[in-house]
Amino acid sequence: MWTVRCSLTFFLTGAQTAEAIASAATTKDPSSLVQLSYSMEEEEFFGEQTFQHYCKEFIKHSQQIGDGWEWRTSKEAFELPLDDSEVTEAAAATEVIKYEYHVLYSCSYQVPVLYFRASFLDGRPLSLKDIWEGVGECYKTRLQQGPWDTITQQEHPILGQPFFVLHPCRTTELMSPVVKNSRKINRNINYITSWLSIVGPVVGLPLPLSYARASSQDE
Amino acid sequence: MTDDKDVLRDVWFGRIPTCFTLYQDEITEREAEPYYLLLPRVSYLTLVTDKVKKHFQKVMRQEDISEIWFEYEGTPLKWHYPIGLLFDLLASSSALPWNITVHFKGFPEKDLLHCPSKDAIEAHFMSCVKEADALKHKSQVINEMQKKDHKQLWMGLHNDRFDQFWAINRKLMEYPAEENGFRYIPFRIYQTTTERPFIQKLFRPVATDGQLHTLGDLLKEVCPSAVVPEDEEKQNQVLIHGIEPMLETPLQWLSEHLSYPDNFLHISIIPQPTD
Repeated sequence: MWTVRCSLTFFLTGAQTAEAIASAATTKDPSSLVQLSYSMEEEEFFGEQTFQHYCKEFIKHSQQIGDGWEWRTSKEAFELPLDDSEVTEAAAATEVIKYEYHVLYSCSYQVPVLYFRASFLDGRPLSLKDIWEGVGECYKTRLQQGPWDTITQQEHPILGQPFFVLHPCRTTELMSPVVKNSRKINRNINYITSWLSIVGPVVGLPLPLSYARASSQDE
Repeated sequence: MTDDKDVLRDVWFGRIPTCFTLYQDEITEREAEPYYLLLPRVSYLTLVTDKVKKHFQKVMRQEDISEIWFEYEGTPLKWHYPIGLLFDLLASSSALPWNITVHFKGFPEKDLLHCPSKDAIEAHFMSCVKEADALKHKSQVINEMQKKDHKQLWMGLHNDRFDQFWAINRKLMEYPAEENGFRYIPFRIYQTTTERPFIQKLFRPVATDGQLHTLGDLLKEVCPSAVVPEDEEKQNQVLIHGIEPMLETPLQWLSEHLSYPDNFLHISIIPQPTD
């Protein structure tokens, strides 16, 4: 049995600083940002600013329930601080695996993309096969049939290191019924929350239900 | 006056003379001679080095051989970057031949993607082609193509067949008559001095007033540190396929003629060499 310790991150892929993100998210009228993302005819169906807005809302809830998501803009200070007591206790009887999940924005496909990797504490990486052993059988079949194509190993565009990635080319197809339906029933959704609740569990990242309640309370 | 089509051929047939040497700590049964090869700039290391692998494995025992990887002056070489890009970025200031060290042990898991088979190279290549078309045509052209057309792009690259490749690739270089270019230009800018592996942003080839954006416009917008005012001394070289295109060159033209087979402009910015 392995003890799992997660580290979760978002990334800003543009050149903006943290201050710029904060101002982009707050000085714009919140309702207009939401409308921008719902409009199918818009140039950018899911633009980078919209991505940032939803990530900020997502992180607000994450901070409330303490499940560890953070917003990062660069490679700096990226090493995860390891709680020593946690490690020695766990290492005695089990193997500790460190999982990392990163949500980045793809400007090419204009959708969020999930990057992930796992390694033992000594740095040995887990293969995709090892990671899948931790995922439910039902998800494996879904992954093969699902519209999100494949998991491949790719270079993380900010860290420059190998990560596994759920390919983004079908994300729009995956998400458009969700977005359309939310418009129909006139209900606010957080795109990031909805998207992550679909793709996350497939790669071992379940999303607490409280995120859904938080989304519908936004605005 | 060179025809534009000649540029396509010159880019495709560009070669880099390379000397492969086995890493000194690898265990061999006899001395391993260096292996010389002309590497295609537009291809990928793991696609064109079967002969290199065979040459060195001849003097090694099976149990001492794991996944092959390449390194230049201590830097593991990313096989998923085109060869020409790696050379321009890391070795173009040095004398030829390009000296690459070959390893069969100690695969650097933290730095390099695994390359389990030729299929992995094909998957990576096609993934780049698709991403480029997402930027140029909202994926319309690539999605309209049949699977055999996709296969033809890959086989053209794999077998070094210019005509076979461009029979299909020319469709990816078209744009609607009413536009003056692609929707966005697929490009990546690489510098060894920055923390990120590359810069990639949305950038249109045509301005709102209809003027064509130039290479200089792109650099000013996404990498201003690379461009200096005219009167100041030039700090950097901006290289594509080993040459420094004039900054006034329209980006649309560069995208159509100097892209790699994956349809991306891979641009290296290196410090100006001191002669």
